[in-house]
Amino acid sequence: MSRLNPKRMLLGAVFAALMTGGALAQDRELVIAQGIDTPGFDIHNHSTSAVEAIHVNIFDYLVMRDQAGELQPALATDWEQVSDSAMRFHLREGVLFHDGTTMTAEDVKFSLERPALDPAVLQHSFYDTITEVEVVNDHEIIIHTDGPDPILLNRISRIGSGIVPKAYVDEVGWEGFSQKPIGTGPFKVVEWLRDDRIIMEGFDEHWRGAPAWDRLIHRTIPEASTRVGELISGGVDIATNIPSQDRDRVEGSGIAHAVPWPSFRVMQLFLNTKDDSPLADPKVREAIDLAIDNQMLIDTVTNGLGTPVRAAVTPGLSAVPMAYYDTYNFDPERAVQLLEEAGYGPNELQLKLQGPAGRYPLDVETLEIVAVMLNAVGIQTDIETLEWSAYESRVWTPNTIDGIALIGHANSLQDGYHAVQRARCGFEFSLKTGWCDEEFDKLIEQSAATVDPKERAQQISDAFDLFVESNTVLHLFQVENLIGVSTSVDWSPSPDEQLWMYDAQPQ
Amino acid sequence: MTNYIIRRILQMIPVLFGVTLLVFLLLRVSGDPVQLMLGEDATAEQVAQLRAAMGLDRPLHVQYISYMSDLLRGDFGTSIRYNNQPALQVVLERLPATAQLAGMALFVAIVISLPAAIIAAYWRGRIPDYIASFLSVLGQAMPSFWFGIMLILIFGITLSWLPVSGQDQPGAVILPGLALGASLAGVLTRLLRSSLLEVMNQDFIRTARAKGLHPRTIIFRHVLRNSILSYLTVIGLETAALMAGAVVTEQVFAWPGIGLLVIQAINFRDMAVVQAVIILSAIIVMMTSLIVDILYSLIDPRIQHG
Repeated sequence: MSRLNPKRMLLGAVFAALMTGGALAQDRELVIAQGIDTPGFDIHNHSTSAVEAIHVNIFDYLVMRDQAGELQPALATDWEQVSDSAMRFHLREGVLFHDGTTMTAEDVKFSLERPALDPAVLQHSFYDTITEVEVVNDHEIIIHTDGPDPILLNRISRIGSGIVPKAYVDEVGWEGFSQKPIGTGPFKVVEWLRDDRIIMEGFDEHWRGAPAWDRLIHRTIPEASTRVGELISGGVDIATNIPSQDRDRVEGSGIAHAVPWPSFRVMQLFLNTKDDSPLADPKVREAIDLAIDNQMLIDTVTNGLGTPVRAAVTPGLSAVPMAYYDTYNFDPERAVQLLEEAGYGPNELQLKLQGPAGRYPLDVETLEIVAVMLNAVGIQTDIETLEWSAYESRVWTPNTIDGIALIGHANSLQDGYHAVQRARCGFEFSLKTGWCDEEFDKLIEQSAATVDPKERAQQISDAFDLFVESNTVLHLFQVENLIGVSTSVDWSPSPDEQLWMYDAQPQ
Repeated sequence: MTNYIIRRILQMIPVLFGVTLLVFLLLRVSGDPVQLMLGEDATAEQVAQLRAAMGLDRPLHVQYISYMSDLLRGDFGTSIRYNNQPALQVVLERLPATAQLAGMALFVAIVISLPAAIIAAYWRGRIPDYIASFLSVLGQAMPSFWFGIMLILIFGITLSWLPVSGQDQPGAVILPGLALGASLAGVLTRLLRSSLLEVMNQDFIRTARAKGLHPRTIIFRHVLRNSILSYLTVIGLETAALMAGAVVTEQVFAWPGIGLLVIQAINFRDMAVVQAVIILSAIIVMMTSLIVDILYSLIDPRIQHG
């Protein structure tokens, strides 16, 4: 409910009245501001959670997570495992697309088979276990996978899982669809002005019922201080990524709150253990882990926003050992002792600390405080920060991390398997750190084919133990963002970083 | 004159080639967009696949030749940030917003600098001169980022007179126009003041004074007319620079013009869009400079091009 100040309204009142005949005055309008724009509405060709946060209001999934992170029926009313490699879904009847056509099983097949079968789309690797979507009848499908897929429901409730109308895409092509999308979601796109705003209208025929808002506007405001300015002057109702230093300013405005928004992202230090690196010695790696006071890091850098972790585990993820959450190892004296045992006296060990500048909240400051903590146990550090795209090109090329590199990993599949599977031999983490463990690889492979949830969770938990013990990736803290919410809107953010505005109510 | 124009246009060709080569090389050596497109979850295999599909694994000279042959056919490539939309279209659709902001900034700069310079020159060495000079230095010295945020805080948030950001509300162009126009006003005031003073010391002005002409007539009819040339030159060149996009101002005010586009494109390694913006900017700057040179001879017939 975007509030215009009386003085500002004066400026545009005559204009607005002439243009709209006063109709806008009755519009219930909700304005969201984020730092980035959507690349378009080709749902299978993006990989950003902040973009999905917009799309989720336009396209529905078969199953969708609720506020607590539990999977709930959406376009599918119920589902059952038919065999180890097949799952049957009953589709909701009478669901309409924004153009008034009815959703059928053919639309579902079309929507899910594209990311599954077309290797050229960016989301392919998350869907490539799906071999076929079989249409049983207009309201029933069976998804076939290339083997047991215990996280099939996780796959189809995230980026790229939206259901789109086959006939419309056939008519306009994906390029046309990307500019003028149609979904079954509670809001339909009316106009998209790049790097400016997406104007959406409430879809009255939505199957859940009409949303509480006539219009939903998504604004792109890259500068954080401007987003805060808009929020506390009533120009926008919800603003993401509020800098932690602006928290008091937002609260003090009296018209908005800065709400902590825990994410699935965990800040991590990757240690290159290859060749003759001092980090090849497990004692040195353990010393680094013990030298870092995770809680002090959070208190110093983010004003207390965040939770210390020993692995990539956060609430809301399935199959993760939560014993590694809200805990950390800190023993600087033991760290000094371990360094001595490894043959390094005070200040004899020199390491490079690399990281991006501006990719994650306060990333450079995080590196600086880590450097101070390492210096305290006698490790000399050189900090090297790079602009994000340059840094990313560097650290993702195998074997190019020089010393220690800071990276924040999220978990879009919301499952423990995804958090550790990349540490297998020859996979991304292993290519960065050089760590390879046969037993670990075996556990991961077993878990990928285990359907029994308990057995699978145990296998993943055992794999987590081996990975954490290796100290090749040191986990610092779970990132907690701040989101600004106007006092005129009743809405709470969910941990999956989605801006699901159907739940928002005027107040 | 026609020969001169043709010669100048021909001279632009090697410059444009140089610009394409330089931009191409700088963008390629500073990293590629593949990982950004795929996100942190991507596998190494996926990265390699997409890199190959986009042709980024080919040698640089092969990529450049392919890029140039497309460019010569008028194909600027496609934007990877915007789902393969034609890069030129993505850039051109931003021109109106940038032109609106540039127009406002120029208006602000002229409205401030013209009277300020005349007042300063007329009361040279006295308090109005000091005030005008101080303000013009201040206008130039204030970082536009800081000044923009101050304008938002004062007029957008505290007083709530004007919109904080964006383009859609009435009056939205005023604050970014002020932020961008302030430093230009500083430059123009100082420039016009010194050229006014130079003319005022010339013999024909002394004669006009001796004839008993009204000071206002002297200033507007004789001094200003003879001082305006350099002022117009700078306005012309600054217009070209403004049309290339005001990166900082557009970013602060979320103004959807070319400046905001190019900074986002750089962050996203959207090479085709960055290249298109820079080539278009180079063309705009060179064309404006040519037009200013031609106008010179129209305003002052003593200047001859040939």
